[in-house]
This record gives sequence, structure tokens and C-alpha cells, in this order.
Amino acid sequence: MDSKKMSRSRAAVALTIASAAVLTGCGAGSSAPAATDDGQPIEVWARAGTDAATTYAALFKEFTAKTGVQVNFQGVPDLDQQLQTRAASKKLPDIVINDSAALGNYTAQGYLQTLDKSTVAGNDKIADSLWDEAKGLDGATYGVPFSRQTMVTMIRKDWREKLGLPVPKTQEDLAALAQAFATQDPDGNGQADTYGMTVPGSTERGYLGWWASSYIWQDGGSYLKDEGDGKYAATASSAEAEKGVTWIKQQFCTPGNTQPGALTAATSVASPFFQTGKTGIILTGPYNLTAFDTALGKDTYEVIEAPKGSVDNTVLAEGENIYVTASNGKPEQTRKVIDYLVSPDGQKAGMTAGKQPIVRVPVNADVDAASVYNDPRWGVVQDALKDSSKAFPSAINFVPVKQAAAEALNKIVSDCGSDNVASGLKDLDTAINNELTSQNAKS
Amino acid sequence: MTVTPTKPAETLAPAKGAKTTPARGKRTNRKQLLAIWLFLVPAAVLGLYFKFIPMVEGIRLSLFKVQPFLGDVFVGFDNYIRVLTDARFMEALGHTVVLGLTQTLGALVVGFVLALLLEGQSRSLWVLRTAIFLPVVTALAVVGEIWRILYFPTADGPLNNILSWVGLGPLQFLNGTDTALWSIAVVGIWSGAPYNMVIILAGLTGVDRSLYESAGVDGATIWQRLRYITLPALRPSIVIVLTLAAIRSLRSFTEVYVLTGGGPAGSTEVWMTRMYSLGFQRNDIGVASAAAVLLLVVTLLLTVGTQLLARRKALR
Repeated sequence: MDSKKMSRSRAAVALTIASAAVLTGCGAGSSAPAATDDGQPIEVWARAGTDAATTYAALFKEFTAKTGVQVNFQGVPDLDQQLQTRAASKKLPDIVINDSAALGNYTAQGYLQTLDKSTVAGNDKIADSLWDEAKGLDGATYGVPFSRQTMVTMIRKDWREKLGLPVPKTQEDLAALAQAFATQDPDGNGQADTYGMTVPGSTERGYLGWWASSYIWQDGGSYLKDEGDGKYAATASSAEAEKGVTWIKQQFCTPGNTQPGALTAATSVASPFFQTGKTGIILTGPYNLTAFDTALGKDTYEVIEAPKGSVDNTVLAEGENIYVTASNGKPEQTRKVIDYLVSPDGQKAGMTAGKQPIVRVPVNADVDAASVYNDPRWGVVQDALKDSSKAFPSAINFVPVKQAAAEALNKIVSDCGSDNVASGLKDLDTAINNELTSQNAKS
Repeated sequence: MTVTPTKPAETLAPAKGAKTTPARGKRTNRKQLLAIWLFLVPAAVLGLYFKFIPMVEGIRLSLFKVQPFLGDVFVGFDNYIRVLTDARFMEALGHTVVLGLTQTLGALVVGFVLALLLEGQSRSLWVLRTAIFLPVVTALAVVGEIWRILYFPTADGPLNNILSWVGLGPLQFLNGTDTALWSIAVVGIWSGAPYNMVIILAGLTGVDRSLYESAGVDGATIWQRLRYITLPALRPSIVIVLTLAAIRSLRSFTEVYVLTGGGPAGSTEVWMTRMYSLGFQRNDIGVASAAAVLLLVVTLLLTVGTQLLARRKALR
């Protein structure tokens, strides 16, 4: 009996020591990792689904053929989660291509290297305003613009013409059109099974805050204001923002103006409503054009200039940047990759090489979207981008602000019975200011 | 009472066997031990790597502001304080408790009823039991999508359609702030009850049939038989079911994430979804880890608590 106990405890001790050894091996060191060249092909990650990944693959194949530089490309749909995992093991991929809005988050985490804009070949072909969006709170450049786009309004042309209604010019027209789509049976099947707008009203990933921003800007409001010097202040409770949100709330609270279940719908749930002919209006990115063309047919819907709010027709601009990570130890290859990606060849390949464009509107001024795609609808996107678009600030980590906006707006629009716009937006102001304070970016 | 006599007999048997062979010597003993440990090693290594190391690492991270590329900063219990003073977390805690209680009790009652209805040996019952068990083995993400369709909040949604036959609805279900949490609870009960059914069915086979007969002879009603024979005999099964369900419902994530994503207006946000959005959407691993550790502590307390309670009751 004794020996049994002894050997059991001995084994237990051995196990503990082993686990302790593994643990220390795992958790040791908290200093920043060094950037080294491991001699492997340069590793590039991008947020991309399967369709977009085909384009990246084709693009990098061309790149390797031209330069001889091998690229290990991974399209990662849940990029940020995967990056966290890689960050925990202190070896990030060498280059990351992701939303321009991710810059604030990445710099706050110390993921990125600063870049010297003048070392990028053809940097003068990229607009200064785009370079400005790639600056961190400290004023240094942390990314290279790669692709840009705006949200566009798409409308079921066949429905609109059947009901004899004009192309909406104002937010009021848009609301009236949505109401007509919901009540006048535009698909003519005799059932009340069509709705006005497709809205991703979920708080998940801040979707509602993302969708609503365009309409709030159109009334002159905004979530926050840039006060200069990397400082911001919340402005969500201004009269202008209140006006925009009131219009948004009306859409949610008028039965039929938005699709059923909009309050909990992420884009993956919402978009199929437009795609399967259940709703007639959608505000979304032009990357959906291919899918909608296949499902609905190119002639059934139109891409229009955004209807005006009380001030203008600003829409949300977004885009992707090329980021060089802190653990990248391959400056030569990195420079070649970046130079190619922003060159006219690289930009064109990004638009046409695969199943889905990864460069939506090119950042290189020598490339014209409408003529490369041979599709006037891209002209609408390009014009909106140039004349009437706004981007979320990228220097700060905007994700929590967008999340807070989505949560506040979701609360406001889900309670149709009460007059809660002003109070809800006041709460949002507080939430945004708290967030800015925690990021040291409150003016 | 019906179960206790069998237990000691089982546990005593091998012990007696060991005592009768003390003379075999140390060598066999050692060999046996080695074999035992060798068999344990795969499970131990897997458990170590995928359970215990991540757990210890999680506890470590909960004390840091986590930023691998700038160096983690030790913040002591700040993360815990932030979790405990965060109004959204407290709201989520409330929802978790409500959801947990409803799901646990609902699944227990429904599982119990199902077990009573489907107890027996015949082949048709076997088929039925398998059919009813299907929700348990179906991926929750799939279940969620199907229920989203069933809960479609217009008059022509499948469930609303049925409700309209009896003059009710249309209800908003997942889309309404008052109904969303209950709608999720129903999905949880639907997918959890069959699991409980199986455990209770196993418990029911252990009930001594002659007790029912004698109770019948004494003129006991069905309700009395249920109350004084079946339920006491099922106590061990019910304790297991309750413990498992309590742990599971505290961790409920997938159904909420798939069905509502925490909305509308945060009315279905639970502990795990809040943790997820802090950790993976806001990159605040430290605070998320602290929340995870708190969840672990609560789960531990709850498990130990249920066990103690059950033991005390059994003694009485």
C-alpha cells in the first residue's frame, strides 16, 4: 500500500514538474518580439472569403512571375481573431491587408511598423487625403492605401417602374418608396410579402452603427468630431444627429419599411432579403454587385446616387490598407510587394484577376474603375467617393465607437412607443466619450 | 433508497479481491501501476495541453493588460473590478441567470415528461426516442438558423401562422425586447430536454417495479406513485441533470450568438456573448479573461453547491 502511494505521488510530482516546464516555456517573456527574417517566403494575410481569395491568389501569382519573390498568401475570413492568436505567439504574418479602420486598433496593440511614404514607388499617384487616413495618432504613417469604396444605394428598378415612382432624390422619397414597396405588391404575386429596405440592424460587429452613419451624416450629424492633434469629442447628441436618427427610427417603426427581423439581422442575414426579391432597397458596398447580378439579373436593379438628407448626400467610405507588421524582418520583399500592389498592374489585377474584386475603386489615380470594369455603375461609386463621402477616423480604434453606436441605436429603434431619441443619443455621447478617454484621445 | 443497496456491493467487490491476494509481491503491483499510468498518459497529456494549461494561462492573463507586442502590463485585480462594475456585464449576468433558470427547469420538466412517456422496450418507442434525441446531436448553429426561420416575426412566419389558428399573434419573438430572451429559452429547452430524457430514462430503469405494484395494491393514485416512488428513486439522475444543465446554461453562447447576437437592445446579451465581444471584437483579452475566471469560479461554486445539497438531502 505504501509503495503504491509513494509511486503515485512521485508520478504526480513528475507530472507537475513537466507541466510547469511546459507552462514556463509557454508563457515566458513579455517583451516585444524582434523582427527577423526566417528565410521563408513572405507571408501575406488578408481578410478574404473564398471568392476574394481567388483574386489574391491570381494577383500574387502574377507578382511572383514578374519579380521572382515567393509569397505565402492566406485569405482569412475572421482575420482579427486569427491575428490575436498569432500575436499571442509573437509572430504576426509579415503583411496584413485589412480595413483602413483597423489602423487605430493595430497601432494601439503595437502590431505595426511605421512606413516611409516616400519609399513607395508611385506614392504620388495616391491622393494625399488617402495617405492622411493611414496616419496614426502620433502622425506617423502606418499603412499604404490599397483599395477604396463607398456605400451605394441599390433599388429594384423593375419594382419602382411597375409602381410608376421616380428615382428617389431625398430621404423622404426613399422612405415613401420603401412604404410603396411594402404595401403595393411590387412583385405582383398577390401577397404582402415584400418590404422596403434591407437593414442590418444587429449590434453584432457594430452593423447598425455602420449602416446608420451615412444617413446621420446626410443630416449633418456625426458620432464624433475630430478636434485636431489626435483628439476627438462625441457629437452624437447634436440636433443634426437627432434628426438623422429620428428618420432612421421612423423606418424601423413603420411596418414594412425595413425587412422583418431587422433588429437582430447581421449583413449575412439581411442581404439575402434583397438577393431573393423580398426587399427593394439596400445600402451596401459595391462588392455585392456580382452576387446580385447573378441572383437578380443586372437589369432588375439600379445603382443610384445616394438620396439627399437635409444637408447633403454623404455616404460612408471604406477601404483596405496594406499594413507591415512589427515582426516583419523582410524589408526588401515587403517593398516589392507594396510597390506592385499599388502599381497600375497590381490594382488592375486586384479588380479583375479573380471571382470578386479585391480592389474596388483603385487608389492609383492612373487607373479608372468604370473603364476597367466596363460598367457605369462603378462610375457612381467612384463619383460618390470623390464628391460626397466620408470615412470613419482611422487613427483611433473606432471599433468600440461603432459598437457603442450600434448598441445605442438598436435600443432607440427597438422601442417604437417611447420618445427616446434624445435621451438615447445623450447616453451614446457618454459612451463614446468614455471610450475616447480610455484611448487617450478625448479632447 | 432503491439505489443505495447496489452501490456498496459494487465498490466493495474489487477491494475484497485485492485483499485476498496480498502475497503477489511488489513487482506485479508495480507493473500494474505502470500500466495504469500508461493508459492515463494520453488523457492526461491531452487534458494538460487543452484544458489545464489554457486555464492557468487564462488566469494569468486576467491579471494583465494584454498586448503581446508592447509587453503585457500587470494590473492586479483591475480587470476584475472593471467586469464587476460594468453595468452591461451586470445586465448580462441577469439575463444569464434568467435564461439559465428557465432553460434548466424547463428542460428538466420536459425531459422528465418525455422520459415517462417514452419509457419501455418496444421498437416503436426506440425509433421515437431516437427522433426526439436528434436536436441534441444537431449542430447548434444549424438549430439556430432553423429557429430563426420558425420565429419569423411576420404573420406568415411558420410559428406565427400556427398561433393565428388559435387567434394569437403575430408575435415578434426574437425581434422584440420583451420576447427575445424567452424565445431563446424555448430553443434551449427544445435542444436540452432530450438529453435529460436519456439520463432520466436510465434512472427509471433502476426503479423497482414491485414498488409500483405494492403501491397499486395499497390504492395509491398515479400522482402519489410519481411523488413517493419515482421521484425519490430518480434523485441521483436529477442531481446529475441539474448540475450539468446549470453549468451548460451558464456557458450558453452559440444559441444566443446565432439567434440574436445579443440584441435587440441588448435584451439577450449573456455573460459569454459579452465576454466574446470584449475579447475578440474589442481586443480586450485581459478583461475577457477576468470575466472567464469569474465564470469558472461561479460554475465551481454552483457544482459543489448542488453536490453538497444533494448529499445532505440524501443523508436526511
